[in-house]
Amino acid sequence: MAKNNNRRRSTMLSWAVMKDGRALWTTNAVPRKAVYGESLRNFSGTEFRRWDPSRSKLGAGIMRTRRDPSWLLPKEGTTVLYLGAGHGTSISHLHDHLCGQGNELRGRLVAVDLAPRCLRELTHMAKSRPGLVPVLGDARKHAAWGVLLPRKVDWLFQDVAQAGQVDIFIGACKRFLNRDGTGLLSLKAASERWTGEGEAALFDKVEHQLTHSGFEVEERISLTGYEDNHVLFAVRKME
Amino acid sequence: MWLWYDWRAAAVADANGSILDDEQWDGFHDQRTIVSRLECIAEGELTPEALVLLERFPEAKPRVHGELDLPDADWPLPDEDAQQAADEAAIAMATRGVAQAAGDPDRRLEHLMRASDELRSTYITMEARMVEWVGLFLPEARFGQDRSSLGKTIGEAESLEHLSEILEVSLPPVGPGKPEWKALKEWGQSVSVFRGQLDRLENGIRHLTLQHLPSLSALLGPLLAARLCVEAHGRMRLARLPAGTVQVLGAEKAFFHHLKTGAPPPKHGHIFMHPWISRSPRWVRGKISRTVAAKASIAAKIDAFEGEPWGEEEMRELEERVEAIRQAHPSPPSRRN
Repeated sequence: MAKNNNRRRSTMLSWAVMKDGRALWTTNAVPRKAVYGESLRNFSGTEFRRWDPSRSKLGAGIMRTRRDPSWLLPKEGTTVLYLGAGHGTSISHLHDHLCGQGNELRGRLVAVDLAPRCLRELTHMAKSRPGLVPVLGDARKHAAWGVLLPRKVDWLFQDVAQAGQVDIFIGACKRFLNRDGTGLLSLKAASERWTGEGEAALFDKVEHQLTHSGFEVEERISLTGYEDNHVLFAVRKME
Repeated sequence: MWLWYDWRAAAVADANGSILDDEQWDGFHDQRTIVSRLECIAEGELTPEALVLLERFPEAKPRVHGELDLPDADWPLPDEDAQQAADEAAIAMATRGVAQAAGDPDRRLEHLMRASDELRSTYITMEARMVEWVGLFLPEARFGQDRSSLGKTIGEAESLEHLSEILEVSLPPVGPGKPEWKALKEWGQSVSVFRGQLDRLENGIRHLTLQHLPSLSALLGPLLAARLCVEAHGRMRLARLPAGTVQVLGAEKAFFHHLKTGAPPPKHGHIFMHPWISRSPRWVRGKISRTVAAKASIAAKIDAFEGEPWGEEEMRELEERVEAIRQAHPSPPSRRN
């Protein structure tokens, strides 16, 4: 009896992503290789990499959402756009899910970041992970990398932590996101101009702005505990 | 009428979205050409295919793929092979962009500057400990102001007796044991090694700054010029800062205290290190630092936009102005107002 209670409940959120108690795991697309020092573990013969939600806003969103967490993930084998790639923590797990080993699922992950320091890790990762397309560029300058996306995508994630994040997000969704596609905006309160009305008012304003730009805000996920003063907006493009 | 183009094809469509003509390029096995085409698009220029079509349809409005006012049409999008080639070119571009970051003197200067700051603080604590440590065993020794060679002397001495002979002081009754002396000796060696390393770091900064910021270096000296450049997060950003900001760069704490509470604003930031300011009487420092900062701001702009660097002539002119300020205010202002 006691033994049974110790067994954690694990659920598969997609073919590759597993929620196991308070941790997330993804099937490792490059077996026996950790990307950023995360732990590797075998679950019934398949190697998984631990996805640390406190280092990834997408991971934190999956842990915190009140809906079925799998809806935050793109459909595997599709093309997605990721703005503000950072050091590639989230990117690597997203790639696990989207492309699989040797890109057997034929997914494409276009990851844009402005900082050469971040791209250094990503270009290195792209060598062993086909399907990952790192781009050194400004998230606002669509012309520079827009031609890499011949068709609109169904899933777009943005985490740029700079002033005007919301306008960047709306602009990118208008140009690159399909109707009915999912857009995820990670909003850092400290990156916006402080209006003196507090964080909640700021987030309300953003929600209002998104609704008026043709999006339906499906959920506003507070990442408190993993990433303070951050909110993840999950929206659906309506027009 | 619209002219659509991406990195490998171009097409013309009428307002209803029916294609009238298209041009496609199939040389996409050459990665370098793809890269140059992607760069050309990023610059907002037209590809060869788009230019050909524009000649045929001069009234068509050219738009790169994805722009919002383009109508929906059956544009000749790349197939899977072409897309694969473009992806590989994009990775090559990113790799090259990352490699080019090493050529950015702003980043190199920042590493040099931070390294020298870190090393200096380590050096100062280690040197102070060394003086205390030796002083404990040789209480009669007086090191005075110049102790730059003390580390070397200790590092080269064979024993405390030897050291006391070199320093010409008497030996106390209690001395260190053998391992203890060895630790002290090695501490001295490290201090002298750090000293040399620090000099070489500063030489590196001087060398790079004289190339990167020739005018500002002529005005403020290379080390101060480098410090301003690093604090401003790069030469271009420094050039775009107003002179008033250059004046208080490095005095952010005092400056924001001023904004918050209305306390007197800081007169100078890092620029205080310049002898014209730090060696001037207190009551003209603000005036001089304003003048110098204004000139420094101009010098930074000259450097950032690669103009003709300043030389002796300009320096003499400015020195005269600074001297004039000092002459005009020979004594402190009266406290009554």
